[in-house]
Amino acid sequence: MSFWSQAWEIARVDLSVERRVGETMRVVLPFAVVSLIVFPVALGLQVSFVAQIGPAVFWALGVLFGMQVALRQSAADSPERRDLQALVGVDPAARFVGRTISGVVLTFAFLIALFIAMVVLYGPSLPSASVPALLLSSSLFAVGLTELGTLAGEVTTGLRNRNALASLIVAPLALPLVIGASQTLEALVRDESILPWVLLMTASGLALAVAGVALARPLEEAAR
Amino acid sequence: MIRIRVLFGLAALSTLLGLWLAFTAPPDALQGEYSRLINIHVPSLWLAFLAFGVTAFGSVMWLIRKRPRWDRLAAASVEVGVLFTGIGLVTGMIWGQAVWGTAWDWGDPRLASTAVMFFVYLGYMALRSAVEDPVAKARRSAILGVIAVVQVPLVYFSVNMFRTLHQTQSIRPDGSTMPDEMLIAMLVNVVAFTVLYVALMAARIDVAKAEEAAKGEEMLAGDAVKPPRISEVKDV
Repeated sequence: MSFWSQAWEIARVDLSVERRVGETMRVVLPFAVVSLIVFPVALGLQVSFVAQIGPAVFWALGVLFGMQVALRQSAADSPERRDLQALVGVDPAARFVGRTISGVVLTFAFLIALFIAMVVLYGPSLPSASVPALLLSSSLFAVGLTELGTLAGEVTTGLRNRNALASLIVAPLALPLVIGASQTLEALVRDESILPWVLLMTASGLALAVAGVALARPLEEAAR
Repeated sequence: MIRIRVLFGLAALSTLLGLWLAFTAPPDALQGEYSRLINIHVPSLWLAFLAFGVTAFGSVMWLIRKRPRWDRLAAASVEVGVLFTGIGLVTGMIWGQAVWGTAWDWGDPRLASTAVMFFVYLGYMALRSAVEDPVAKARRSAILGVIAVVQVPLVYFSVNMFRTLHQTQSIRPDGSTMPDEMLIAMLVNVVAFTVLYVALMAARIDVAKAEEAAKGEEMLAGDAVKPPRISEVKDV
């Protein structure tokens, strides 16, 4: 099998497992929506202020729960499955790419669903160009966050405190993505160019992709 | 042991000289006595950048050579780097409270990115403490050491990319914006802190070697024998 065939196959299997388990849409998304409700209740804010902080809360929850999507249990390989993949000659870089593709699809779907929930619950006033800008920033954000999550997930595979440790690694490193994504919407509101923020997210995504592919072999060994 | 004592002696002498220069240099016209904090703040963060760069170098070398000394170098450097990042953050906050009127400004990318760098390397240390096997520990932390260093230039250049409260670099290729006496004091402190870094590194690496030796003594007969694993089988 070619590199890309392997990557697509891994992504397809991941998505099939996720469709059966439903961790992202049946567990992580409802929890994130509950968090959207908790914010204004806990802060006791006025309606106008809730609408104002809506996009910021969306990106904050996006990174926190997006991490959970990237580090989902259904994408954690058992040692036996890893051994099997090694035996059949799966390229570690193709495994990283495949896992990233499936993670991006799920994270993007999660972000769009969360954004709709935020608009319904918070009622923010957004400019007309915000929908294409949101789709662009969400997709770049999803790519970067998933690459980061996949890398952190591999580095912490098999450890007792895997989820907490991986989150500690991902959350600070995801800052350029959070800045880029949140500032894209802010720039639209201020009628400024979104290009610098799009470039920041693109550069982060590319750097992580290069790191992931270049370090795929040591990552594979680290997980054993 | 003598080598480490000599290094700490040199560090103490150069730090004393640096402090003397820092306290005898004239205070800044606007910032007053608080400007002297620059003699600790700037060298601390310079040392943090150096330490994390050395960690990345040690990590790359471990991935290539797989020698324990590169892992010891990377791990020791992170610990020293985190310590000096903490000192840099605290001195910056004290200075900020006095000069800017606030210890922390969320809109300032230098503050936020430095704090992020601090937490990423705390994560590196947490990862090391979570793995028992020395080879797995070295491999996992080497990967993180390579990825984490990407943010160091982001922290350094953040003041140029986003103009907010934090001033840009005072020392540039076209000269310095500082008076000579303040500049000399700061540069002497940079050298003093670098000597201190070398001394701390030497001591920490010696401790790591002693820890490894102690663990080796505790091993029971048969501990060194491991079952064969698929990953180690060639021609897969």
